[in-house]
Parts: sequence; structure tokens; C-alpha cells
Amino acid sequence: MRSAALANRPLAGREPGDRHVSVIQGEFQVTDDPAVVLTTLLGSCVAACIHDPVARVGGLNHFLLPSGEGRPGADHLRYGVHSMELLVNGLLKLGGRRDRLQVWLFGGARITRQLADIGASNAAFAEDFVRREEFTYKGGSLRGDTARRIQFWPASGRVRQLALPNTPVEVLPVAPSRAPAPATDDPEFF
Amino acid sequence: MPKASSISVLIADDQPSMRSLVRAGLEQIGFADVREARDGEEALRSVVAKPAHLVISDFNMPGLDGIGLLRSIRVHPPIAKTAFIMLTGRADVELLKRAKEFGVNNFVMKPFTVATLKERIEAVFGRLS
Repeated sequence: MRSAALANRPLAGREPGDRHVSVIQGEFQVTDDPAVVLTTLLGSCVAACIHDPVARVGGLNHFLLPSGEGRPGADHLRYGVHSMELLVNGLLKLGGRRDRLQVWLFGGARITRQLADIGASNAAFAEDFVRREEFTYKGGSLRGDTARRIQFWPASGRVRQLALPNTPVEVLPVAPSRAPAPATDDPEFF
Repeated sequence: MPKASSISVLIADDQPSMRSLVRAGLEQIGFADVREARDGEEALRSVVAKPAHLVISDFNMPGLDGIGLLRSIRVHPPIAKTAFIMLTGRADVELLKRAKEFGVNNFVMKPFTVATLKERIEAVFGRLS
């Protein structure tokens, strides 16, 4: 689930030598390449930017929980936990260590008043995840009512947010881009 | 028909959120005797000290991973028959083959639903009440 798609439009703050890689909903990227800038566009989705300052590796994901009641253990939480686990495991494989991981969280906006506040439940999940995992929370920007473009330099841990008011993004209730296969499609060996 | 509440379970996963998710799913199914371990070594120590009927273990853990834990349990006679379900994030044929060689009882692919978790446990223990 590692996107290799390159951003194809100019971004504010583009610097010479930077290689912008766009991360879309349901995907994640990890790298130790100091020339890479991970970017993503967020509405009600949340992105976690995670960095290990010693190994100088980092990564970013972009996820959306399906609507649910927000109760602990509810099935909808599995998407978020799985997305986070993939990102963290990717960092560990690159030499990161759990006890050094620093996290920034962005997104979770309420883009339209006509729908349930999916963004708030995404934001609450992400904050709860960081707390449960005992990662160092470095801040970020959650909730609100505007879309955001995030730029993250994974090797250095530098992160930048550009607010995008009136940006039509994720205005519909979106199902997770990669819904888990029905149980009958899981590998069955017994 | 075994009672879920009479089956003791040990969850082994290095990610607290995943442990919480599995625990919540088990409690939803009706399991009451559930304990957790943060990695393979801790899980092995725990299950040796106090056997469990079922171990649900992540594959990907630092140190002793899921396969290592499974193998260690299978070669330790007092706990060798512990039911073992492996959580895995991908359908890696080699991994699944190795796990089968060491006697894994079933797999659960992540992300999973509570219904899938129950179905996989019932495939091992029979229909739960």
C-alpha cells in the first residue's frame, strides 16, 4: 500500500531539489530520503506524520474511518488501527524505533454541515491512538472547517500546513478506499 | 458447544491499539478471561507461567515474532497444545506455510471484523455459546 505517485501540480513552498510525493486516501509512504517531501490534501480525513529523529526516517498516512458510533472496539476503528500499524511497521523496517517516534496529526475537518461530523471522529481516533501507543505528540492541526494541504519532510521531521478555505474536498460521506474483503475472501486454510 | 467465557485468551501484539481492538472484539463475542502481552517474549513467559486455551498473536513483533512464539509454544510440552491464531497483515504464502508447519490453528487477516474473528475462533473451538 505504498504509493509511488508523484505530485503533478505546483505546490506552495516548493524548494529546489525537493521531490514531492503525493499520498492519497488509504495509502501511506515511508522513506529516509532527505529529498522527498510527502504531501497530502485533507478534508475530514486525517494524516499522521511520524518521524524518528535518530534514524532520520519518517512517513505519512492518509486515512478515513467509516462512519460508526465511536465506541471502543467498534468494527470501524479497525481501518484506522490498521492504517497506523502499516505506517509504524514501515518505519520500524527502515530502522525507526517505537520509543523515538514523534507524531504530528492533521485534518479531521468538518467540511460540510449537512453531514455527520466524520472529521471529529477521525481526529478523536488519531489522538487516542497516539496516547495509547505512548508516542511523542508534537502537535499539528485537527478539526476546524477547512481543507488542508500538508507537506512533510520525513527525514528531517519538518512539517508544514497550508489551509485551503473553500476547497471542495471530500464533501461526500466517503467509504474507506480499501474496504476489507468479506470474511469469505480471506485466505482460508483450515 | 463451548462457552466463550470459559476460554482463556492471551493476546500478543506490540501495538497497544491493536491489543485493545482485539480485546474489545473478544469481549464483544463473550470472552471474559483475556490477558495481553507486548511481544513474543512476554507472551511466552506469560503462557508458561499460566497456560491459556488460546493465543492470538501478531506475526510482526520485535524480538520473538509470531512464528517464533508459535514454535516455542509447540516445543514446550505443558503448553504445546495451546490453540494458536495468527494475526497477519498480508497473505504471504511463505509465512502462512511456515506457520502451518509449526501447527498454527488459524489465521486472521487485518483489518478484520469481529464477525471474522469469531468465525476463525469457532473454526478452532467449535460454535461458541
